Amino acid sequence: MGSRWTWRLVALPGVVWLSVFFLLAFYVVLAVAFGNQDTLSQPVPHWNPLDWNVGYVLDTLKNFWHGGPFLKVSLRTVEFVAIAVALSLLIGYPVAYFAARHAGRWKGAILLALIVPLWINYLMRMLAWINLLAPDGIGSDVLHGLGIEKLFLTLGLLDEPGGWLNGQPTTVILALVYGYIPFFILPLFVAIDRIDRRHIEAARDLGASARSAFFRVTLPLSLPGILAGCVLIALPMFGDYYTADLVSASTQTNMIGNQIDELMRQGSEKVTGAALTLFLSLFLLGLMFYYLRTTRRAGTTAQTT
Amino acid sequence: MEGEIRLEELCKRFDDVTAVDGIDLEMPPGEFFTLLGPSGCGKTTTLRMIAGFERPTSGRILLDGTDVARVPPHQRNVNTVFQSYALFPHLDVAKNVAFGLKYHKLSKEERAERVGEALELVSMADFARRKADQLSGGQQQRVALARALVLRPRVLLLDEPLGALDAQLRKNLQVELKTLQTEVGITFIFVTHDQSEALTMSDRIAVMDRGRVEQAASPKEIYEEPETVFVADFLGVSNLLSATAVGPDGGASTVRVGDRTLRALQGATGARGDVKVMIRPERIEIEPHSNTGEDRMPGMVERSVFLGGAYEVHVRVLGGELLKAMVPNDGGVAAAALEPGAAVSLHLPPDAVRVLRTSEPAVEAEGEQPDATKVADG
Amino acid sequence: MSWLRNPWGRPRFLMLITGGYILWSVVPVLLAIAFAFNNGRSRTTWQGFSTRWFTGETGSVLHDSALRDALGHTLLLAVICVAVATPLGVALALGLQRWRGRGSGTVNTLMLLPLVTPEIVMGVALLLLFLRLFGGIGLGTDAQAIGQVTFTLSYVVVIVRGRLVSIGPEYEEAAADLGAPRRDQFSRVMLPLLAPAIVASAAVAFAISIDDFVVTQYLSSDASTTTVSMLLYSSARGAPTPALNAIATVNLVITLATLTFAYLVYRRFAGREEATSIATLEV
Repeated sequence: MGSRWTWRLVALPGVVWLSVFFLLAFYVVLAVAFGNQDTLSQPVPHWNPLDWNVGYVLDTLKNFWHGGPFLKVSLRTVEFVAIAVALSLLIGYPVAYFAARHAGRWKGAILLALIVPLWINYLMRMLAWINLLAPDGIGSDVLHGLGIEKLFLTLGLLDEPGGWLNGQPTTVILALVYGYIPFFILPLFVAIDRIDRRHIEAARDLGASARSAFFRVTLPLSLPGILAGCVLIALPMFGDYYTADLVSASTQTNMIGNQIDELMRQGSEKVTGAALTLFLSLFLLGLMFYYLRTTRRAGTTAQTT
Repeated sequence: MEGEIRLEELCKRFDDVTAVDGIDLEMPPGEFFTLLGPSGCGKTTTLRMIAGFERPTSGRILLDGTDVARVPPHQRNVNTVFQSYALFPHLDVAKNVAFGLKYHKLSKEERAERVGEALELVSMADFARRKADQLSGGQQQRVALARALVLRPRVLLLDEPLGALDAQLRKNLQVELKTLQTEVGITFIFVTHDQSEALTMSDRIAVMDRGRVEQAASPKEIYEEPETVFVADFLGVSNLLSATAVGPDGGASTVRVGDRTLRALQGATGARGDVKVMIRPERIEIEPHSNTGEDRMPGMVERSVFLGGAYEVHVRVLGGELLKAMVPNDGGVAAAALEPGAAVSLHLPPDAVRVLRTSEPAVEAEGEQPDATKVADG
Repeated sequence: MSWLRNPWGRPRFLMLITGGYILWSVVPVLLAIAFAFNNGRSRTTWQGFSTRWFTGETGSVLHDSALRDALGHTLLLAVICVAVATPLGVALALGLQRWRGRGSGTVNTLMLLPLVTPEIVMGVALLLLFLRLFGGIGLGTDAQAIGQVTFTLSYVVVIVRGRLVSIGPEYEEAAADLGAPRRDQFSRVMLPLLAPAIVASAAVAFAISIDDFVVTQYLSSDASTTTVSMLLYSSARGAPTPALNAIATVNLVITLATLTFAYLVYRRFAGREEATSIATLEV
């Protein structure tokens, strides 16, 4: 019913919009990265690929190659993201598992508690922590009182008492976890919830203990959900800059996002900023491909995209 | 005449799959016509082409002489009852039934009257204000019928409408549908894979397989005089045997089954060489083992299945094949005495034995006939 | 430790972790909201209850022009975003779902890309687009709105498409069978059935727009294009008054109210399970 073109035409406005304000926008990034800078330090895009000037891109690459600041920032970003994702998994999996499997009549309430942070303004959630971790803040006092501060000081995770907000990698990483973990727990909850209870019942019936059934049935079946969740939060984390900016006073904790932000909005090196954005995009694209390939090979379907 | 459908060389291809392979069918007006076949045979595709939801790749669909193959569905005077009923969830029963009336020039009163009539016809008048999801399966089906019939179509198409219902409800609705059709008098075209349903309700059946019509005839003819192996096997138990036709003997054909000779009066008696013969279970007569003579095969009872009204007796004959005979449970001693291991003689009267041509080389007679539980569920 | 491992009841260990997580997640925000009602200027020491930061004479959300304008601009952008993204998204969802032939895979990928692109990448791309190519439009409200529509679009499409899939093609076929021409098939059958999804996706677009930060900031031009998120960001490390908490609270209330509305609408018309999947952003 209906010709081939009817529905394509209906979809057309949306497609045009995305082509212009998404695809074309990316092309502008390319054109700027491979472009030049005028005397006012404003970027001059080179639209024609044949005109592309690799100078700035090469300079950026050299920065990486020779261990310059870009490389340092990137490595730091990878470190932060890796630790944050690991922590999210460590905290998030038990919570998701409990909510899906053992919540009983509390399931609705717990689900609500898991959903709400998703929709609270990210900045407000960070703001809340800034309030708490300020030197005279309630959080600071509590952490001191509970001895946690002492623990962190001893472990070298904190530089000075009460100095949570003056440039601690620990704070940034924990803030990242706080910020992104709801986006991890919820899909994971859904994935675990979807596991057919009968698989587990069958395992128990065949003689497995509760613990064994978990490790041999539930965990493997929830693996796709775990991977999907990790990718789902890692991608935006790699581009994060506002978290580090808010909870850290020092540029020592800068992530690659901060670097790009600096170049684009504060400095006068938009071309380099565009080049860095390009590299970040390629890196993330690679990550996505790798993820899609491994899940496809494992014969499972990706949970999200 | 009103409500006659003719399909001429109707073809439908989806990419490289041919769903309907050039069929010719005549569906006379006012009849209950059934398209019967296994899944994938093309019956639903054919129905959808008649309704207008699929465009034929080639061929003609003549509704009372006019080719409607390219006419969009909302302009054809045929209506459909879908397998899932497709009652609009956001409208109540009365509004559902009234939906199509908007396109007929009727006043509000006339509309209400027609809706009332239609609901009465299917005994759903009390449910006018209910929402679709508050109805049971059988009730939804009736509303779907009312919704289609209220528009007074020339032909009503039904796509396996009883598929989702439990056995008892199905039986009741089969009778209701048939009565309805006779009462309303329009052509019903019914699609099903259930052969007992088809046999019960139809005036005429077209058996389809792999996009082709194998045979189109009355239920009795299809059951008693199947023209191909497929049709014989699809409806009921066929007790197919591989045989060699050696020649006529009077009006009958003589066939050799293993080392036995049988006479066959039905079917392709002129055929020679490799053929199949069939006999329906109720025509096999079980006699004491001592009875030998013409048209008889010795065998041993393997099992006797109690079906309530009859016994289905599985007999292994000397050549190794398994034949199923139907023995009525009439309180007599004979039926009950057929224990596994009993030696019997099977009388196959020639007028019940039918010769069928095989288009492919005869299949090696295996130990067991194709399982014929088809009596129960088609 | 044996009391932690209770073989018959719920594992207490897991219960502790979950409880702990929920507290950790929610308490800081609750405290921030609490301090919005603080009587004094401190955001860390309680000085008594008051609503002065919401409606008071000076420095409140209602009377401070910076705060009020930010809230106003946030809502303006949200309304524009919904007005544009919803019809665009519904059309795209319908077109994609019924696409015949090749190309649908590509369009589908295109539609999903914004969902996985980090905001800074989109921010940079759009910034350069409006600086160097669409200089005529330039930065400001228009650019901000366009940027927001670009990524909210995908959410609308995904939500509407989910509903389309569960509706299926049968109702339109039934309508056609009963005599309805194409236009009526859509307006009398599809649209009523699709309505909950359209409303829900509009609400989701609204909520996402209100809370957006990176793209909105990148495409802003001057102080008049400040939104609540931007305000929170720029003031957070300074020495702001609880008015900041207050405006964040107002923002939060609006978002949660919108979402509750969407959830209820969906639940009323489409069932509880589908409604929950919207709230959890199941893609």
